[in-house]
Amino acid sequence: METGFRRLSVAALLCAGISSAWAQGSDDPLGGLVSPDLERREIREAQIDSENIEVTAYLGGIMNVEDFGSNALYGGALAYHINEDLFMEAAYGQSELGESSYERLSGSAPLLTDEQRKLSYYDLSLAWNLFPGEYFLFDKLALNSSFYLIGGIGNTDFADDSHFTYNVGAGVRVLTSDWLAVRLDFRDRVFDHEIFGEAQTTNNLSAQLGVSVFF
Amino acid sequence: MQWFTGLRCSLIASALFITTLLCSAGAAAADLSAASSEPSPSELPPPELHAVERPAQVADDAEQVVVGSPYLDMHTGPGRGYPVFHVAEYGETLWLLKRRTDWIKVALRRGQTGWVRVADLNELYGADGELVRVPLPDFRDLDSRRFNLGFTYGDFDGADSMGLSLGYRFTANLSAELRATQAVGAFSDSQTYQLAVVHQPFPQWRLSPYFMLGTGLTITSPNATIVATEDRRDTAMLTGVGVKTYLSRRFALRAEVANHYLLTSREDNQEIFEWKLGFDVYL
Repeated sequence: METGFRRLSVAALLCAGISSAWAQGSDDPLGGLVSPDLERREIREAQIDSENIEVTAYLGGIMNVEDFGSNALYGGALAYHINEDLFMEAAYGQSELGESSYERLSGSAPLLTDEQRKLSYYDLSLAWNLFPGEYFLFDKLALNSSFYLIGGIGNTDFADDSHFTYNVGAGVRVLTSDWLAVRLDFRDRVFDHEIFGEAQTTNNLSAQLGVSVFF
Repeated sequence: MQWFTGLRCSLIASALFITTLLCSAGAAAADLSAASSEPSPSELPPPELHAVERPAQVADDAEQVVVGSPYLDMHTGPGRGYPVFHVAEYGETLWLLKRRTDWIKVALRRGQTGWVRVADLNELYGADGELVRVPLPDFRDLDSRRFNLGFTYGDFDGADSMGLSLGYRFTANLSAELRATQAVGAFSDSQTYQLAVVHQPFPQWRLSPYFMLGTGLTITSPNATIVATEDRRDTAMLTGVGVKTYLSRRFALRAEVANHYLLTSREDNQEIFEWKLGFDVYL
């Protein structure tokens, strides 16, 4: 409230000052001497294209699901680079569950149908470019690179059920040009399931090689 | 009785939301005038402009500017760790090629290209001698309207939840937010889709509280292995409070608690308590 009054009184004083200046007009003896001689600076914003989004397609990958063997992994990721240190990423992948050793050894009916063996996951992660650097190839070629740590949360769907999943991992990105990179990513996905009757926590490792484009 | 407590909670939250809305309008207006970001001019006069031929590999739409600061470090990559391999001088012409996070790729007259830090580019001059500014988004620029994107982890009525939010700031205090959450629990999974109004009474504070009112849809699917039931779709009312803290110019951590009031078709309405931890990025 006090500032309001102060502002009001300043405004009133200013008005009074201006009106008295008008009244004096050309009679002001200092008119020519103290005229402001400041050039106005013109400022505009640069027109520049930002490339902070990275789209990755997995060229080849393998995912191990605990007790169900290793199978090919397909998928991709969409990342937004926040600054030189951090990026956030949403990823999607698909794989399959193999036969568990129980099913193979006991010779009983399979635990899951073919449809239930299809696995898909999606996750949201945050990554830290821990070691930015350069790889030197031959005499004249240096490729920018970064080693990153990544972790996040997500969801894995298989056997007609959703499984809340934590993921942690690390990866290497090598930029072949400003907009094209090769990524090698290792991840551990941790989730609980009850397929064998009681709840168990599983660690499921995956490795994937991807190509990414910045735009 | 339970629905009454829920309703009372929501009413209190709404009342808080509206009072802080009214209280802070004046304060925010006063802060806005203070937070103007003008590049600081150095002692050097603006450099003279010469006609320079554009190198062949530079695209036609690349902006041509002249360096007005004493020197400009050029790195081999967009990061502080990449080595400085060249220094552009005062008065030298360069072309702005592209931006990655807070780094700009520039080309020089003789064709060298390298990355310079946006923060170092506070003195560039355009073709008509005007100052050219490269914006650095900052949560403190309260007058700028910006999108923010966030990921969250939380607990939705005992179930682990993951969330995604996209917000848009209309004024220094008010934003709208689209929120999607997927929760996976022992007995049921649920998805929520909501539109919320978020009010930050003191956006300039390092630890800034916010209030939230919203509405949306909650889809609950009981786990098939336990009971065979159908998915439920309920309209939900959302009230919540939270706090944001900015770790850097564009990166904020947030924590919130929310109350979901589900308007079900059953006899009783359902109330769900949720907490979330996450981060927000100003795009």
